[in-house]
Amino acid sequence: MLSPQLLPKTPNPLSSIYTPNPFKSLNPKTLKPSKPNFKPKPHNPTTIQSVLQWNRKPQLAGDTPRVVVITSGKGGVGKTTTTANVGLSLARLGFSVVAIDADVGLRNLDLLLGLENRVNYTVVEVLNGDCRLDQALVRDKRWSNFELLCISKPRSKLPIGFGGKALTWLVDALKAREEGSPDFILIDCPAGIDAGFITAIAPANEAVLVTTPDITSLRDADRVTGLLECDGIKDIKMIVNRVRTDMIKGEDMMSVLDVQEMLGLALLGVIPEDSEVIRSTNRGYPLVLNKPPTLAGLAFEQAAWRLVEQDSMQAVVVEEEPKKRGFFSFFGG
Amino acid sequence: MALVWNPQFHSISSQPSICGWKHGISSNILEHRRELGLSYSRYNWVQQRTARSFLFRALSKSANSDEDKVVKTETEINGWKNSIGKLQETIKSFPPVVFVMKKDVGINFAIGLCVATTILVVAVRVYVARKVSSSRPGSVADLVRRGQLRSDRRGISSPLKYEDPFNNPLVKVGKSNSTVEMCGKVYRLAPVTLTKEQQAIHQKRRSRAYQWKRPTMFLKEGDSIPSDVDPDTVRWIPANHPFATTASEIDEGLAQNNVYQKHGVPFRIQAEHEALQRKLEALQSEQKLNKLVIDPTNAKDFERPFKHLTSHEQAGQGPSNRIGSDSSPEEMQKP
Ligand SMILES: Nc1ncnc2c1ncn2[C@@H]1O[C@H](COP(=O)(O)OP(=O)(O)OP(=O)(O)O)[C@@H](O)[C@H]1O
Ligand SMILES: [Mg+2]
Repeated sequence: MLSPQLLPKTPNPLSSIYTPNPFKSLNPKTLKPSKPNFKPKPHNPTTIQSVLQWNRKPQLAGDTPRVVVITSGKGGVGKTTTTANVGLSLARLGFSVVAIDADVGLRNLDLLLGLENRVNYTVVEVLNGDCRLDQALVRDKRWSNFELLCISKPRSKLPIGFGGKALTWLVDALKAREEGSPDFILIDCPAGIDAGFITAIAPANEAVLVTTPDITSLRDADRVTGLLECDGIKDIKMIVNRVRTDMIKGEDMMSVLDVQEMLGLALLGVIPEDSEVIRSTNRGYPLVLNKPPTLAGLAFEQAAWRLVEQDSMQAVVVEEEPKKRGFFSFFGG
Repeated sequence: MALVWNPQFHSISSQPSICGWKHGISSNILEHRRELGLSYSRYNWVQQRTARSFLFRALSKSANSDEDKVVKTETEINGWKNSIGKLQETIKSFPPVVFVMKKDVGINFAIGLCVATTILVVAVRVYVARKVSSSRPGSVADLVRRGQLRSDRRGISSPLKYEDPFNNPLVKVGKSNSTVEMCGKVYRLAPVTLTKEQQAIHQKRRSRAYQWKRPTMFLKEGDSIPSDVDPDTVRWIPANHPFATTASEIDEGLAQNNVYQKHGVPFRIQAEHEALQRKLEALQSEQKLNKLVIDPTNAKDFERPFKHLTSHEQAGQGPSNRIGSDSSPEEMQKP
């Protein structure tokens, strides 16, 4: 009896819940999506290049191994999530990857990858001579070209005097492996600019800076970028994580282009806020392996693609193009 | 349905002479009551589960109205009122005996149908909810499966495979290159405006703002700086640092060799093995000399290195000794 009222009130509840318009630009012209018959302004076609590439293997740029540190300054912004997802994406694209969890006290990359039961040895044991390096590398059985290496067990102490040296030796040893050098060595950096950070950046040639679009995270990101540049790491690209279009629309959150204006770094990827992140942590199955893929998973995959080609984003997704919805669109049409 | 049916009822009851008196009308009442019962339960259902809109669609479709929703509701309500009024009219116009006789049957039937429908709806809802919660990937059930949570009441999720990464039908770039289609939605693109010059300006700003040398020397608070060390590169570590230690129990060169070792027995294991060997030999020669029975304390001594190893292995395995390391989740997921 009330049904006819309910029906037209919710034109498509699913579209607003599951696929929020992920990214939004500064462009004030695009800030009026509420107009019902919104006609997109024709963009200058020369400035826009496609953000997505598929159907070919990415071209590996630069010398191998590419030693990439994933850092942020501020804690909890998604470094470990990024390492797990980008790392497995790279493995799926056919590159051999070693992910190093350099978070000495609070390691959790193994949990995100679902490999926690298989970490028997860590770098500390290798240094002590309790095991060889190859015994400490945990090979992922889903993609056998992905390996995990943890720096230490939660309770053990790392001799900090040569933490950075130890990582450099590790990279050298991996380079000289019999099965060949890995294509990528990803280092999941701990938060802060403490000893852990110093250790993690020591062997790196390039950096991925993870940030969220809020001012606290941005200030730390700027500081960390400065330190990295002082240390001679000039190839720094950023990933903007946990982007929420609804908040950007309400002017409660900075847009991706705002963030870029503040930091002046090339964009490697833009990751929307996604509840699937927590679910995939529960499963120990990184988001990029989800089927069907989620928007955040696709975004991580594309970031990995750009990392391979040393490319950066030339365009960001602004908003969902309004589609004329038919009367029967409810049925999934 | 009620809407469509009402006029029919009206027309039938206004021509009582055509259909047989008793039979025709009483069945009409029956039907009407059932209809009321049904639509009432459906009304309940609408309130409970607004998401199941397809049924409402069916309802509104059969109501055959493309007009405005407000009008629709009004006509619905009116129709409902009408139908009640009509029912009361017909009831009043009946001979009292027939009415009393048929009333009990009709009410009982309507109530019965109502109860049955409600039970069915509840059962289906519970079933659907269970099915959804057990099949959804990434729920807490997965933590149970991985041995992180202690409950076996929950289901175990199905394995998952991802096909070819180079062929993703869910992502398409638009023809004009200014749109991209992901997961069935079309998104517009805006160009990135950052230029190389702007990037360089930011770099310059940062190099002025932050001057830093990566520390290479780590000293405990209170230590004195060696004379040949640049004070800028010294990092002071608090004595109670939770996981760092400045005192290196291991020799640096030795540690480096350990990292580079590719084959053979790891250094420490080798050393312990050799120590054990020496002890054993010493003991054996002692036994030969003294012809003593094996001392139980000595036997315990032999076991120690082995124990040391196993405790090492267990330390990293977390709370999940129920799932051994050789039945790890990946293996279970292997097709
Ligand atoms: N795009 C996202 N959407 C929703 N939640 C997210 C997203 N990215 C990260 N998170 C959540 O943020 C939390 C922190 O993530 P993560 O552990 O990757 O951060 P981190 O930078 O490695 O933290 P730490 O500094 O402690 O090492 C996690 O609970 C994760 O689920
Ligand atoms: Mg982390």
